Amino acid sequence: MAEATGWLLDVYAEEDGITLWLLTDDDKRLRLRMEFVVTFYAAGDFSLLRQAWIYLKQKDVRLERTIRRDLFLGERDVMAVTTSDPANIHKLFGDLQRQFPALDYYDADIPITLRFIAQSNVHLLGRCRVILDGEWVQTIEPLSSPWGIDPTPIPLRILTLTPDCNPAIRKPRQLHVKYNQREYSLSLDSPRAFLISLKADLQRLDPDLILTDYGDTWLLPQLIQWSEETGIELNLNRDRERHVLTRKANSYFAYGQVTFRGAQAHLFGRWHIDRKNAMSFGEYGLEGAMEQARVTGIGVQEMARKSPGAGITAMQMLTAQRNNTMVPVQKQQVEGKKTLAELIRADHGGLIYQPIIGLHGNVAQIDFSSMYPAIMVKHNISPETVGRTTKGVSTSVGQDDAPEGLIPKALRPLLEKRLMLKNILSDLDPRDCRVETLKARAAALKWLLVVCFGYLGYKNARFGKIESHEAVTAMSRELMLQAKEVAEDMGFTVLHMYVDCLFVQQAGFHKPSDFTQLMNAIEEKTGIPIALEGVFKWVAFLASKRDARVPVPNQYFGAFQDGSLKYRGIELRRRDTTLWVRKIQLKALESLAHANTPREFADRVPEVMKLVEDAKRDLRMGRVPLGELVIRQRLSRTIEAYKTPSPAAHAARQLQAHGRQFAPGQSLEFLFARNAIGVHAWELDEMLDLGKLDTKRYCRLMDRAMQTIFDPILSHMFTWRLF
Amino acid sequence: MGRTLVTITQLLNETEANLSAFRRTLRRSDQYIFDGLFAAARRHIAAIGQAESLLPFESALLAMLLEQSKEIAVLEQKVEELIKKNSG
Repeated sequence: MAEATGWLLDVYAEEDGITLWLLTDDDKRLRLRMEFVVTFYAAGDFSLLRQAWIYLKQKDVRLERTIRRDLFLGERDVMAVTTSDPANIHKLFGDLQRQFPALDYYDADIPITLRFIAQSNVHLLGRCRVILDGEWVQTIEPLSSPWGIDPTPIPLRILTLTPDCNPAIRKPRQLHVKYNQREYSLSLDSPRAFLISLKADLQRLDPDLILTDYGDTWLLPQLIQWSEETGIELNLNRDRERHVLTRKANSYFAYGQVTFRGAQAHLFGRWHIDRKNAMSFGEYGLEGAMEQARVTGIGVQEMARKSPGAGITAMQMLTAQRNNTMVPVQKQQVEGKKTLAELIRADHGGLIYQPIIGLHGNVAQIDFSSMYPAIMVKHNISPETVGRTTKGVSTSVGQDDAPEGLIPKALRPLLEKRLMLKNILSDLDPRDCRVETLKARAAALKWLLVVCFGYLGYKNARFGKIESHEAVTAMSRELMLQAKEVAEDMGFTVLHMYVDCLFVQQAGFHKPSDFTQLMNAIEEKTGIPIALEGVFKWVAFLASKRDARVPVPNQYFGAFQDGSLKYRGIELRRRDTTLWVRKIQLKALESLAHANTPREFADRVPEVMKLVEDAKRDLRMGRVPLGELVIRQRLSRTIEAYKTPSPAAHAARQLQAHGRQFAPGQSLEFLFARNAIGVHAWELDEMLDLGKLDTKRYCRLMDRAMQTIFDPILSHMFTWRLF
Repeated sequence: MGRTLVTITQLLNETEANLSAFRRTLRRSDQYIFDGLFAAARRHIAAIGQAESLLPFESALLAMLLEQSKEIAVLEQKVEELIKKNSG
């Protein structure tokens, strides 16, 4: 018997158990095998269960009648189906479900990583000790917890592969290779020579992670094709028995927009992450993806490409498994009956208190920290604790005295870990080398917390129930009103409230410490932690562009006392604003950030006007690089479905004529041009003649962005002249 | 996710659209004032929502009145200031 310790990199199913990959303390990569049985359950009509039992007896499974807990129905008499072939559980379950669709099924689609974690308590990327008999694991024990604040860094070997251009636009000629501090390029002119070089590099470096740009959509499929064409065998997996796992591209509708997800290429024994196809990689990078994998139990390759919602679902499944609660295959809970009056009372979102339009001096922004998850944990809001009818009365909020619900149980450690990371970050010097990593990890956890509330009300969430979703927003509105009342009792004016933050002001209050008493009072009253985002020297709340008398929530810009800027909802934040407009709007705000008061803001207006005029002159003189004028817009439907084509649809049609295909959710880049259709697709091989650039349209975009900045001060200038 | 009932913002938009013939018949100068009434209601969307009324437009009318009263109070204060300034 041998013993090894190290980090668990990956787990996947096999026909006779599971494969584990361990990065050992002596820098070895071990492929280990482990016997592992998986069980799923069926419940329902007894005669149907009996028929299902007879059907399954012909298969290589173990059957048992047992009692298991359903989160909503309590203890259920179920048939347990156990197989020692985890790789084929989906087929086994699929066949059974087709034969007996009327039965309720549980635990049938739980990812193998979650089953393994629930059973062994060893988490992905965590440290563990294994006792081995050859390659077979006899015992495995955890040496770390996913909730540890300071995990031991994993000495990963990372190979980065980047083509010299976007393959969707033009054919790459070279592939840049980076490993540690070494960088070089491989020519793509001869696939044979290229494959031989790359294969040698892979064997020599044996990376744990292949980090690519366009690896999913171009590089890996291209490598496979070249390998087949040239006959040069190239297995990108570390596990030689496996092929690259590919998944098709798809478009889906979420959060009010159509999103395109490119094809995927997953590896076995090492990871492949395509930075261009990883959902939030730009936001929190590899450290964030690894943090999410650590706490959710979903493999790094999957987690990097999936939405945080998938991570939250996984955490709920894991919590359910650990608490002997079955995970239903399909959502069972539907919205309860309500009278119209009850519906009107319940069907609200967060509290949005319209801002007072204009420019305001010395304003503090106070935020509730992770408000919604904190409410769920503090008030025990979970689908099984909310909306129950007690003595004929439906409880609209969580039952504080009930046992802790599944959702609070899953969220509590996550919430605590994020708060701890934030506290550590606030104590660190910004130049500390740990700051970037900690920020990425905190951001990754934040995204999990952000979506956990939405998943309470999401129609397909296994453990979702709209009443629990409503209970959270009801509680949040109550807490915001309590905070407002506390602030007003202490003499503050509440300028704006937006779901979980307040903007308050009081004459003579301008230092952060001036607001400490208020924050303490709000925290004491609501029981939810709050934090001071900062004190603005000035902040502008904006009016609707359609009617200057109507305020628009969550559209503002302001300068904190240290001169840093904060802006929301303005052109600078929008993805479809050109870089040129964004750069000038930012420069304008940076200039205004030197102003300490609204009056000083007004004094700086001429300087900003000059900046804008110079920028427009540069545009007309052709001195603005075309790349800064590119507009990026998303296709919301297929090109043929547009009755009145948007500029993006026009650009797509231009490219379609050159053989490009587009799916809904894909983004397009174009320039506004003086031609019949008004646009010029950026990807077209022929460059736009500078004389054809629609400068007037770009100037209008600039004027609109500047109007956003100047509007709030105009009303003040008018008032100052009058009084 | 998603709401079953229309939001207060949607409701005000719909009501305003339903009154478009009424608005069209007003003089241009009155149309501006009419739009102002809806702008006043939109400043209190949170309060109208919180009222949880079966007829939210009743609360919207109250919000319009509230803004008018506020404007009157502000103007009264300014008149007083001007009187004081002139008499001093």
